[in-house]
Amino acid sequence: MKKLAVVLLVLAAVVLPIFANGDDEKAAAPASEKSYVQQVIEQAQKMTFEELAKKAIEESNGKKLYGVGNSSRGKSALPLFIAYLQGIDASYKLDFDWQQPKNNKIFDQLTANSLKSEGTFAVTLIQDGNQIESKMVQTGILDTFIPLEWAKANGTTAEAYTGYLPLQTLNKVFEYNCTGSKTYDNCWDFVLPGEHGQFMDIDSEIVGKNFLYMLTAPKYAAWLASAFEALSADEKAALQPTIDAVASDAKDLGLDANGKYSLAWIKLWVESYNAVSDDGPICNNLVQASATDQFGLLVYSKLRSVQESASVSKNNIKIAAYQDGYKGIGGYGYCHYMFVPDNSPLPWTACAFIAYITEFVDGFSAWGKDIGGYSSNPQLAADNEAKYNHSTGGDTAEGGPFPALNDRGYDWWVSAEGGQLVLEDPEYCASVAFTVGSWIEMLTKYSGK
Amino acid sequence: MNGNALAASRGTLLWNRFKTFLSKPYNVILLLLGILVTFTTIAPIIAIVRDTLMIHAGTIDAHLTKRTSGFTFVNYIDLFTSRLAKTNLWTPLLNTVLLAVGTCIVSILFGGIVAFLVTRTNMAWRKYISSIFIFPYIMPQWTLAVVWQNLFNSNKITGTADGLLASLFGINMPIWWCKGLFPSLVVLGLHYAPFAYILIGGIFKNMDANLEEAATILDTPKHKIMFRITLPMIKPAILSTVLLVFGSAMGSYPVPHYLGLSTLSTRYFEMNAKYTGEASILAIIMMLFGVAIMLLNQISLTSRKNYTTVTGKSGQISKINLGKAGKYVIAVILVVVTFFTSIFPIISFAFETFLPNPGDYSFLYTGDASNLTTKWWLTKENITENGMYGQQGMLFNPMIWRAFGGTLLVAIACSMFAGTIGTLIGYAVSKNRRSKWANYVNSMAFLPYLMPSVAVGVAFFVLFSGEKLNLYNTYTILIIVGTVKYIPFASRSALNSMLQLSGEIEEAAIIQNIPWFKRMTRIIIPIQKTSIISGYLLPFMTCLRELSLFMLLCVQGFILSTTLDYFDEMGLYAFSSGINLILIVTILIFNTLVNKATGASLDSGIGG
Repeated sequence: MKKLAVVLLVLAAVVLPIFANGDDEKAAAPASEKSYVQQVIEQAQKMTFEELAKKAIEESNGKKLYGVGNSSRGKSALPLFIAYLQGIDASYKLDFDWQQPKNNKIFDQLTANSLKSEGTFAVTLIQDGNQIESKMVQTGILDTFIPLEWAKANGTTAEAYTGYLPLQTLNKVFEYNCTGSKTYDNCWDFVLPGEHGQFMDIDSEIVGKNFLYMLTAPKYAAWLASAFEALSADEKAALQPTIDAVASDAKDLGLDANGKYSLAWIKLWVESYNAVSDDGPICNNLVQASATDQFGLLVYSKLRSVQESASVSKNNIKIAAYQDGYKGIGGYGYCHYMFVPDNSPLPWTACAFIAYITEFVDGFSAWGKDIGGYSSNPQLAADNEAKYNHSTGGDTAEGGPFPALNDRGYDWWVSAEGGQLVLEDPEYCASVAFTVGSWIEMLTKYSGK
Repeated sequence: MNGNALAASRGTLLWNRFKTFLSKPYNVILLLLGILVTFTTIAPIIAIVRDTLMIHAGTIDAHLTKRTSGFTFVNYIDLFTSRLAKTNLWTPLLNTVLLAVGTCIVSILFGGIVAFLVTRTNMAWRKYISSIFIFPYIMPQWTLAVVWQNLFNSNKITGTADGLLASLFGINMPIWWCKGLFPSLVVLGLHYAPFAYILIGGIFKNMDANLEEAATILDTPKHKIMFRITLPMIKPAILSTVLLVFGSAMGSYPVPHYLGLSTLSTRYFEMNAKYTGEASILAIIMMLFGVAIMLLNQISLTSRKNYTTVTGKSGQISKINLGKAGKYVIAVILVVVTFFTSIFPIISFAFETFLPNPGDYSFLYTGDASNLTTKWWLTKENITENGMYGQQGMLFNPMIWRAFGGTLLVAIACSMFAGTIGTLIGYAVSKNRRSKWANYVNSMAFLPYLMPSVAVGVAFFVLFSGEKLNLYNTYTILIIVGTVKYIPFASRSALNSMLQLSGEIEEAAIIQNIPWFKRMTRIIIPIQKTSIISGYLLPFMTCLRELSLFMLLCVQGFILSTTLDYFDEMGLYAFSSGINLILIVTILIFNTLVNKATGASLDSGIGG
């Protein structure tokens, strides 16, 4: 009995402190009581960059800034930002540390950070609108800052703008190895029987799942339906049974009349794609001469880093959407968003950094030097193109020409007449995550021939 | 009045007993370390149980309960009863068990046979084979998985670029060979075979051959000798191997991840974003297996609780004569096999760091040296576009060298803490073998080792992600977790060696009034230094290439294994291969230094 009591006491001593703060997770601040960071943001949104820069210098001179992001390039952008501030005040010094967690850990990291009264992270660059909406914004963990010049360039104001602040849109596009004679001239070709595209697994990179969610939105369902109509009779016959089989599911999920095309494409894709750990290996596979007739859906910019050799070439690749007569979606786009944590230790500096990378070509250069990443600031996007000439970069590249590298730009990619890029909408994704999302999870993924 | 006097005397009696208890250093050690290991083992478990009951914003529990905070059982209900139960739970669970069992079988068969050949036969080149055999354990486990892919993948079957076998010889291996359970258990089996080799080899090396010889004289058939005498004698070593390998294989994340097998640990990562609480239940299930293994082991070894056992002291070891040709034929076979498990990966890593693109073997087809490059090592900047994905060469890459420093820091600190705590536990337990508290401390210290690494990592992540204690991405959390996980290396090693030490030696010193500290540093430790140093060496080497345990607790660039994994996932195989080389060289240097200085090494001279 005594022993039992001792055991219970020991357990209680260990358990109680752990459960003690069970229900007091950080709650969103009431709308009427703005946090310090929100107050800073409110003022910062009315300031020019020069005014913001002065505030940042006052706040962070001699300190250390911690950033966390899905892109490692925040690390490249920060030194340029510091150099800019040093142009205003030569004595300015800022140490920094930029972390890039993998395996979706950025959300856990930011959630854990939010529990502190003053957080570690000053700023974040984050992707996956769906999780941002449900885990970060609705919970009050992250705050949006809209820079004045960015708003002007987009013809809006901070007060009128309701979305998050995208730094850039990235695209993942259908690419295929062209060393054989096979061609892919319709997005349904990628899900025909026997086809197995290479793709990052939707459970390891969640933006891939968001792409599938977005396909069920009326706009993109219509694009899929239209592409289906352009198929040959034989191809239609091969796909029609699947479309018919999911028609009732589409109705149950509340999708529109074209929803069955979306579900059919999703089902065929999930049940056929070949999961690869990252876009880098997909690119490395596809550019090899031996990868005849293979294709993948991958980050466009990966192609840029391929080095020509006897068996590897950027000319072994074709971008499906660039080929004459191609019908249907050419890939999908997702955003890198900028946020200030609600307990940011350096909110002025965070705002200034965000303004710098969304308003200046140099600030955006860490991302802007690559194809396949498009600034959300139209003026900056134009300036960036003037500097880097991505639209013709493949023609002039050393060892070229490489037609696949000629980036046709954001406007072309998102247009119905152009690349038909499927764009992520955080709110839509969050609204179907447990309807369409659960339906997708019931599908059996491809596991090899 | 009388009652008060009685109470006072009872109190005095208790106090005196307490003082007597504390007068023995090993009791103090047991008390303090017992409290410590109770907290470090139980607290993370409770934290993760709590996580399974919590509602997480933006996940399935919030969706099903329509709440954003509080507690619920909905995660349990949904995981076990929803339409996704098969995908999320039952299939990964079955695969995990099959993987763990298969890994045990492969490692015991492979490690045991090699141990037998090295210790009990006159096979040629035994010393070389003994040294080279432990290489797969030195390397991070998933490097063999990457080598497997590079060898056997093919455009036709796996839908990737051709691996070496397909590109050079046109051989396309079937899918079951390339992906899934079979390659996963072979790779993990090869990785853990050195465990079996060291444990079984230890017994073979010291085993009294008289029993076998007696049976031979009595004309007992060879198979009967094997099954009735030899195997029962190595049974403790086999059980020890199962004990050590089962939990490790269960908790392996990278190997099944790379080879496309859905297990509890891979499913944990896949589910964590949307099914956070349910993913934590998977971690608990993995932990339960660890507890079950420990209980089974307690039952099967009630009479002797040695895990890394060396039995008997007989010097009579008869070596089986394999014949003039036989001893070379078998040795050649082993040299070839160990070439592919130990040497080929290193050559392949080194070669990979000179390829112009990851996996671009143009040089092999053309023989043209212009298809090789030193850019992955020597590039000093990351501004120019040169196919380096924005990275500097390895020799000048600050992220890699910072990670290298971090790895050394974590490995040395874990080795010191785990080694010291484990040695003290081993010592104190050996002095109190019949005490239930001692057995409790011993079991509690061993439990984290039996729990899958991923589950332990998850538990500590949850525990140290709070408002008051937030240690994510600090070396502190890595050192704490590494220490807790690797104490058993030292405690088991120390316990076994202390049990071999007669109590009279220390008693003689006590009579001479020699203080405890001096007894330890002048008598106990010097006598058993080889075993004790092994208790420091194993945590150090394991820490250097540990991934599953640390991957949830820090980002890449913090330590080498997470950096290596990052580059591997990104497909930058030149970097991951280069880091692998750095790790292997580091481990070999330390192993050699320790071996020269103290005589201790991983294979403990089995092949000697």
